[in-house]
Amino acid sequence: MERVGRVDHAAAAARFTADAPRTTWHDATLWFAREKRDRAAAMVPEWETLRERASTIKEHTLSRLDEYLERFEAKALANGAHVHWARDAQEHNRIVHDIFQSRGVKRVVKSKSMLTEECGLNPYLEQRGIEVVDTDLGERIMQLRREAPSHIVAPAIHLKKEEIGETFHEHLGTPAGMSDPATLAGVARTHLRERFLAAEGAITGANFVVAETGSIVVCTNEGNADLGTSLARVQVASVGIEKVIPRLADLAVFLRLLARSATGQAMTVYTSHVQGSRNGQELHIVLVDNGRTVQLGREDFWRSLKCIRCGACMNTCPVYRRSGGHSYGTTVPGPIGAVLAPGIDLDRYAALPFASTLCGSCTAVCPVKIDLDAQLYRWRQRVVEGGMTTLTKSAAVKVTAQVLSRPRVMWTLGAFARAVLNVLPSGMARLASGAWGRARQLPPAPRQSFHAWYESHRRNTAPREGEGEGEGDA
Amino acid sequence: MSARDTILAAVRAARLSTGDRTDVALPDFQLESRTRETSGDQVARFATAARETAVDVVECTRAELSSWVKHRFPDVRRVVSTTRDVPGTVADQGGPASFADVDLFVCEADFGVAENGAAWLTASRLGERAALFLATDVLVVLSRRAIVGDLHAAYDRIELSSEAFGIFVAGPSKTADIEQSLVIGAHGPKGMTLALVE
Repeated sequence: MERVGRVDHAAAAARFTADAPRTTWHDATLWFAREKRDRAAAMVPEWETLRERASTIKEHTLSRLDEYLERFEAKALANGAHVHWARDAQEHNRIVHDIFQSRGVKRVVKSKSMLTEECGLNPYLEQRGIEVVDTDLGERIMQLRREAPSHIVAPAIHLKKEEIGETFHEHLGTPAGMSDPATLAGVARTHLRERFLAAEGAITGANFVVAETGSIVVCTNEGNADLGTSLARVQVASVGIEKVIPRLADLAVFLRLLARSATGQAMTVYTSHVQGSRNGQELHIVLVDNGRTVQLGREDFWRSLKCIRCGACMNTCPVYRRSGGHSYGTTVPGPIGAVLAPGIDLDRYAALPFASTLCGSCTAVCPVKIDLDAQLYRWRQRVVEGGMTTLTKSAAVKVTAQVLSRPRVMWTLGAFARAVLNVLPSGMARLASGAWGRARQLPPAPRQSFHAWYESHRRNTAPREGEGEGEGDA
Repeated sequence: MSARDTILAAVRAARLSTGDRTDVALPDFQLESRTRETSGDQVARFATAARETAVDVVECTRAELSSWVKHRFPDVRRVVSTTRDVPGTVADQGGPASFADVDLFVCEADFGVAENGAAWLTASRLGERAALFLATDVLVVLSRRAIVGDLHAAYDRIELSSEAFGIFVAGPSKTADIEQSLVIGAHGPKGMTLALVE
């Protein structure tokens, strides 16, 4: 969980890909999720209409976010909830701690919440004597291993079942060598059931909060959020301010998209709507900014706040699949993480917009139509404008620009390269091609340049009808 | 300034700096294709979708329910029921944790959703809702006439002003957090049965 200094995605990815079979396995595992998403989406004829609606509802809400937040607050208060506001992670953590401490809560269960990860809530509470148990199976595995989740929907997606068996052997006293997923999940069930029954406090995130009804909507498959909140006497929901939607009926649009995009399910097993507290229970809602209003004010990036955290952009991303979630050094990895993190600290996360091929696959699957690849490209421009690229990269780009803008220099260098590349030993030639050549074999250099070839072939031949200049694009 | 006012002021400032897009209208949630989604045999569609979420779907009459439960769950001892059709053996003994070792929880759903097999349950019918998540098995009773086509139709029916809690349940609890292997029975129920009654 150490997150100090600038993130070097390329170096972290190199460590990940050093284990080639594992990289291939990780790639295929995530692609499996992408394929499940495709099948589920194809079952809904109006899928594209839904994406459009979802995007518009979010853009509408974000364009009047203050009004909807006030409406949500008023409704939640009327429902009997306590509403708190936190400008940043520190304030959020302090509020949550105060709630628990003043009510004598010592044992807390937490269901999946990327926001509390973002705020570093667990260590904050633990240092102050409050036990926090993550109850999502994947997150519990991560907590036992003292690792951060590598995926927002499937936190332990980077681990093999044998490794999880080892973790359980070490921390939960199971026999060594256990690796059957059903057996391991059964062990976790028994272990966590005790924690649920003993907990005085329950923390959840929120997938959506509804201004019209004051509802907190939480989606899980395991039932852990509902077990926590239906047993504990104090419930805290930590909610990023971008999670509010206007109407209850808008949920239909988002819920039809969310699970299908995330895991290929038509619906998560549990989709709970909490409007108030149970008898004898207190319900607290903490609305958190932590950089969101800054992102909201950025013309180029405010649409990233439409995100509903389905993880589809990660599952499809060729870079994420082959570099793993940890290589991003952020709570939210993948394309959306690489758009959000630079908004928090551009210098620290300057490498992330480059952790992309700009292929646009993320944009194509995003259920709320965030133009992720375009935003990544715009962050790259900010990084270069801010002088945050590495010296070698900026020097290389400068030289390339000089060469490309001087045809004679380029022709001369081209002729030189064609002559030299064919006589150089392949190892040295690859060295000359930089990072690109590390895992690739250079093709043999052609005898003449394209320009020379064109001159000799087309000079005396009039182009035929329909064979214009665009032909070369094919 | 309080945190609340600081955040709301920051949101307003952000609105202005991105050109205040209050012209983005809130779209109507009616979808053109809903007639297609809501036509056909909804009960069959619902049953198919529910079975895909590992639900055991059975059809019977209300009068048969009680004897059918005895037949289907012969070994259960601790039954919590919030429907008159099936007698329970355990009452609320004070506090949700008292349901920790309940074998079977029986309740009635308001309606089901054909597109995803989910059943809508509310606090007024659930009682102490912990039983829904703590029980080893859950039996949901649903009228065949109470099935809607999709989630849009579902939210047309949902009224939350008098409910502190409402939930869609689509199957027994499950996890795929270990190598994406599907395991039925994560933290909550290990089995779910839906009784479609006349």
